[in-house]
Amino acid sequence: MRYLAPVCFFIFAAILVAVPLTAGNEYELRLFMLFLIYGIIAVGLNVLVGLAGLVSLGQAGLFALGSYSGAILSTRLGFDIVGSCIGAAIISGLFGVLLAYPTVRVRGVYLAVVTIAFGIIVENVAIEWQSLTGGTTGLSSIPKPNILGIRLSGFAFYGVLAVTLFVFTLLIHNLKISRFGRTMLAVAQSETASRALGINSTGLRTLAFVISAVTAGIAGTFYSFLNSYISPDIFTFSDSVRFLLMVILGGAGSTFGPVIGAYLLTYLPEYLQQFQLWQKFAYGALLLVVMFALPRGIVGTLQWAFNRLRPPAPALAATEGLPVETTLRHEKKMLAAELVATALTVRFGGLSALSNASLRVKGGEIHALIGPNGAGKSTFVNTISGFYRPDEGRCELDGVELTGRRSLDIARLGLARTFQNTELFGEMSVLENVMAGYDQRLTYGLTQALLRTPKMRREERECRQTAIGLLAFVGLSQYANEEARFLPFGLQRRLEIARALAGRPRLLLLDEPAAGLTTQEIDDLEAMVRRIAALGVSILLIEHHVDLIMALADHVTVLDYGQVIASDNPTAIQDDPRVIEAYFGAPLDRAAAVGAGA
Amino acid sequence: MTTTIQYILSGLAIGGIYALVALGFHIMWSAARAVNFAHGDTLMLGAVLAVVGVDAEIPLPIACLLGIIAGAVFGVLLERFAIRPFTATSNSIGWMLTTIAVGVMIESLATLQFGGFSRPLASPGVKSAVHILGAGVYPQELAIPVFALLVMFGLKLMQRHTLVGRAMQAVAHDKRAAALMGINVNRIVAFSFALASLLGAAAGVLVAPVIQVSASMGALLGLKGFAVAIIGGITSAPGVVISGLCFGIMEKFVEGYISTAAREIIGFSVMILVLLAFPHGLFGKREVLKV
Repeated sequence: MRYLAPVCFFIFAAILVAVPLTAGNEYELRLFMLFLIYGIIAVGLNVLVGLAGLVSLGQAGLFALGSYSGAILSTRLGFDIVGSCIGAAIISGLFGVLLAYPTVRVRGVYLAVVTIAFGIIVENVAIEWQSLTGGTTGLSSIPKPNILGIRLSGFAFYGVLAVTLFVFTLLIHNLKISRFGRTMLAVAQSETASRALGINSTGLRTLAFVISAVTAGIAGTFYSFLNSYISPDIFTFSDSVRFLLMVILGGAGSTFGPVIGAYLLTYLPEYLQQFQLWQKFAYGALLLVVMFALPRGIVGTLQWAFNRLRPPAPALAATEGLPVETTLRHEKKMLAAELVATALTVRFGGLSALSNASLRVKGGEIHALIGPNGAGKSTFVNTISGFYRPDEGRCELDGVELTGRRSLDIARLGLARTFQNTELFGEMSVLENVMAGYDQRLTYGLTQALLRTPKMRREERECRQTAIGLLAFVGLSQYANEEARFLPFGLQRRLEIARALAGRPRLLLLDEPAAGLTTQEIDDLEAMVRRIAALGVSILLIEHHVDLIMALADHVTVLDYGQVIASDNPTAIQDDPRVIEAYFGAPLDRAAAVGAGA
Repeated sequence: MTTTIQYILSGLAIGGIYALVALGFHIMWSAARAVNFAHGDTLMLGAVLAVVGVDAEIPLPIACLLGIIAGAVFGVLLERFAIRPFTATSNSIGWMLTTIAVGVMIESLATLQFGGFSRPLASPGVKSAVHILGAGVYPQELAIPVFALLVMFGLKLMQRHTLVGRAMQAVAHDKRAAALMGINVNRIVAFSFALASLLGAAAGVLVAPVIQVSASMGALLGLKGFAVAIIGGITSAPGVVISGLCFGIMEKFVEGYISTAAREIIGFSVMILVLLAFPHGLFGKREVLKV
């Protein structure tokens, strides 16, 4: 299994070398070169669709942008093929950033329509801007490909295309198995959880868009050199659909799937030509069949079948991991993780979910926040962790202001949280979930990820070992390779705690961790919280379960109707009349007294 | 002055078509949180079948009716077999691509049967033009925006006063709760798609006499209808109708003063800008993010 990827890349390289040697005539070679160009687009689009989970139906627009940029740079300014490619990559990359911007606010079908609209806009700008693009007649007499004035022969140009596709496939494979691929998948599955782990979802989406735009732009330049003629009607909506279909047919998210998809969809229209008028119909039918019969794509289905057939992966040996004591413990002098929330007020419309609530979690303590349903506990947690903006008041962690910061920055300051309804990255493995939580501690950048430098490998190894150690800590070692969504509910809660701890937080917010657990599981949870606190992590525990709170908490704060009604040690809280009233209503004699007074 | 009136009146006509298409998207989205990307082809289907019907010497009103009914059946089938299997997944890519696939197939089938050329549908609404303040329009063109407004008010009345209308609103609000109240959610969704497709096909029949009928007429009209739904806010019926009419007028002015290509550039740019500034559309409801 370890050697699968290198073997596949070797076979791929062998095929790329063998094809020109066996090609019967120039037409055959030309068609194969067209496949290489489509392959470049599909491999780049795969980052967007397969990893970041975003749908683009405007890839033909970016392809057109690259084609026109390359063609104009070479005909007007005499750029060679390298210069044209760089120019086209820059221009389409900028438009990639522009297209990524809407994803801050909209996704799914809205984003798809934005990309469709973008494609139509590009097509019509190409028609309208006649002085630059030649209007509907397009641009002809694009020079033959050359480098620094030396003309490339057919085979040399083939070599350029083949090397480009091979290198892009390899680089994107490296990206996929780095922190970038992992966090893109995480963001696609739960944006909320990603933000709480300090993952920059906007940055990752922009990166995915830029990669898919740059590859489409370069492919476009190659296309204009290959065809030496371009016009607006080459870049239509149906081409965008075709590019997307290449990725899905081959297998979104897989390394070689898009290449296979591009190959099939380059040669299929040639084959379908014999059906003439039925060609388009057959094309639509194929799309339909793929969606129903092969939703994972060819490579995805093969992988799935392979995984079902082979014996389950052996559970990870705990010795592979680093003990949490070495990876999570905080220095004694760092123990001052103190959370201070002062007079927080949050209003939804006319309703005050929190009014003037203050709370102080001292360093190293287990602080419980309790209150009846609707008291504002979850609002409080969401406000501290940056998901809601308080209307008034402020909070700080160790003297650093948290109010007004994004949740991902708050997470990076050392505040980790879990969710009342678990927010796991369901389709990722248990181990990968924890490794995604470790992401904020990784320092290697994009270039290092693409080139797999020693630093990147070392950090990844540490990340993996820490994650394995954490799984041992929460007792999930044997499930490390399972998909997170298949875990039973109680174990999902533990996994969420492990993932939150992976970032080495100073303060951990547990939002109703005992909800839905069995008595046995609650006892385990109690022991686990104690061990976490022993590592020097302050804990704010939001809970209903009185036994658990009395057993664990150093200090208890009680919320009711958005206000703090008591804050003291557990025994004092148990006897506090206001707390009893909030939970059980007014005692009978007092109610009678109130009744008599009225 | 005459030109201005002319642009406004013909803009209202095409805007009425956008409004009807967008209302269809509104109804589908409310019911299923999914739409039919081949909705433009529903419109085409209505128009093409009406023309084919007239060719076969079926009287015009019956031909139109047949076209509209066929459109509704198409919508129901599409929802059942292309959309419903994919709405369970969080990702919208499934039903987007299946409906696009069906659209491609229907369009090529229509091309095979109807030929690749455009034809008008004869209608009493375009026999002679009427003149309003010097601007000449066909009665048919005046009828379209009026029809769109009537449909909007009709929809409102139905949602307020009929059982099925109230069930539609319940499903739009919360599917699971609606199901627990004994509403057959699948049937309501199917009904919604039937209604939406009925309106789409009716828009096709209405616009057929004004513009030429062809197998490829649906794609762009459908897309612009969706753009209008986004601009107006897909959750608001009056919102999409108002933006549809305004969008139509804007298009006519851009087309008149600049060019057809500029019409598409400006139209879709407006959509993207509105979406950036108002993610829920100009009149749409804001959905609160819950963690």
